[in-house]
Amino acid sequence: MKLPDSLRLTIRNFKVNSDPGTIMFMLGLPTLYLLVLGFMYQSLIPAVTFNNVNVSYTDFLMPGIMAMEVMTAGTVGGSMLWSDRRFFMFEQLLVGPFNRLSYLFGLILVSLIFSIIGNAIMLAIFYLFVGKLVFTGVGLIYSILTLFVGTIIFTSIYLIISIKTKKMQTYNTITIVLFFVVDFTSSAFYPITAKTPYSLRLISYANPLTYITNITRNALVFSSLSGVLSEFLVLTIATVIVFGIALKLYDGVKPGM
Amino acid sequence: MDAISVDNLRKTYDNKKYAVDDISFSVKSGEIYGLLGKNGAGKSTTIKILSTLIKKTSGNVKVLGLDINNSMDIRKRIGVVQQDLSFDLTSVERNFKIYGLLWNVKKELLKSRMEELMELFDLNKVRKNNIMDLSGGQKKRVQVAREFLHDMDLLFLDEPTVGMDPIVRRKLLDYIKMRAKNGLTVLFTTHIMEEADYLCDRIGIINSGKMIIEGNSSYLKENFGGYKTLKLDLNKDIDDLTKNELISMNVNLKNENNKLLITAKNIDNIIPEIIKTVEKHGYNIIKLNMDQSSLEDVFFEVVN
Repeated sequence: MKLPDSLRLTIRNFKVNSDPGTIMFMLGLPTLYLLVLGFMYQSLIPAVTFNNVNVSYTDFLMPGIMAMEVMTAGTVGGSMLWSDRRFFMFEQLLVGPFNRLSYLFGLILVSLIFSIIGNAIMLAIFYLFVGKLVFTGVGLIYSILTLFVGTIIFTSIYLIISIKTKKMQTYNTITIVLFFVVDFTSSAFYPITAKTPYSLRLISYANPLTYITNITRNALVFSSLSGVLSEFLVLTIATVIVFGIALKLYDGVKPGM
Repeated sequence: MDAISVDNLRKTYDNKKYAVDDISFSVKSGEIYGLLGKNGAGKSTTIKILSTLIKKTSGNVKVLGLDINNSMDIRKRIGVVQQDLSFDLTSVERNFKIYGLLWNVKKELLKSRMEELMELFDLNKVRKNNIMDLSGGQKKRVQVAREFLHDMDLLFLDEPTVGMDPIVRRKLLDYIKMRAKNGLTVLFTTHIMEEADYLCDRIGIINSGKMIIEGNSSYLKENFGGYKTLKLDLNKDIDDLTKNELISMNVNLKNENNKLLITAKNIDNIIPEIIKTVEKHGYNIIKLNMDQSSLEDVFFEVVN
């Protein structure tokens, strides 16, 4: 049976990326955040309240960790393009039985797969060590859609960085700095409230991770869908814009130069 | 039937200078065609156009009977070994398996071809190693071997033997010859003239994007070989009078222990005159032979 081009490329991308380093980055760091940070801060923050619902800090943190998984999965697609250009596999694939579009789909699909697997494992760890989430059907659908859209926006961001940077060192520095900036200016670890300084609130609401966290947190932890639709729309519109930019830049990547 | 047909091909990257400047040539099915030239002569650009990686600026190009714009149909039937090393950052064996998957090679066939190529390219010892732990020559071997995993009608080899030891290199050249006998068409570039001489049915030399000469190796040597050297073993050392008479024929002379080395362009035409002059002065010719021009002589002659 002949597999479609994009699927063959996706399997290839998955195989190339399923090395201990990537798996450690995908799973080790979020697990560390969830278990160590979660349990350590729980003694400082006994409960987080939202819409009159009290939850433990670890429960509160879980959607933030899921959003982090989405961002980490996005780096897989960007890094793959970087590595393929650096080691001339991009050119090699484009003289093989593939076109540029199937190559791009291969990158997005592998990020989505890593996002799904990463989130499934994080949920399993959460259930195993922490407790369980109570969610509604609509909440679950919102969460799945958000993780899907979130993976695409972060894949697009990392594709843009990968296309625009010339040196490996620059690429690594930008991605690492971005990873921490996006993480810590989002609502992944703490709630962004009216008491948060205005400038930080501004940065936080310009950060896609905040929307991914807020939507999944509301849907999965607080069982509240208030404001979820508007945040989802903002995230989707931002994704369409960023993906459009990535597509335009990708179109300008000249192979064999 | 022509596997490659190129008419007045031109390529410019900056609208100022042509990397490929109005070249025309054709390659027949099952033929091994060598493209020679200095660095930056336009060889790799030509291959990149023919393998559909980059677009031509003008000219007509057909590959396997298809217009070059039918890139997807062409790509499914060609193999390309780029000049730059290309690989996935994983083990040698996994690189092979992934490449087989990308080309949709059936599992059993992939396994048997992989074993054959591992053996042929002497990769068995390093098959489990990560590609980054290999030497440059070993990486090149992986890159070249990998390309033979899938079926193809036309193979582009852009300096495939760089970094390879002579034994593996010879094995590769013989393997290419064998595959060409079975119908594979090959477009080959190299800087090693002996390789081109050994392998190619026809050779084209390009310089500054232009095709200078084309033909089979013997034709090129015969017609563009430039200087050849006539070696004469004489019964005694040559005197100044004879020397001067020979020099007047516009030749370069080197004399060493009764051996006379006479180098000239188109020396074939003056050999009878040289012999006559030497014998006229009372020397006996014990041995006479002539160094044939090599492809390298041709290259120097036409490129410089």
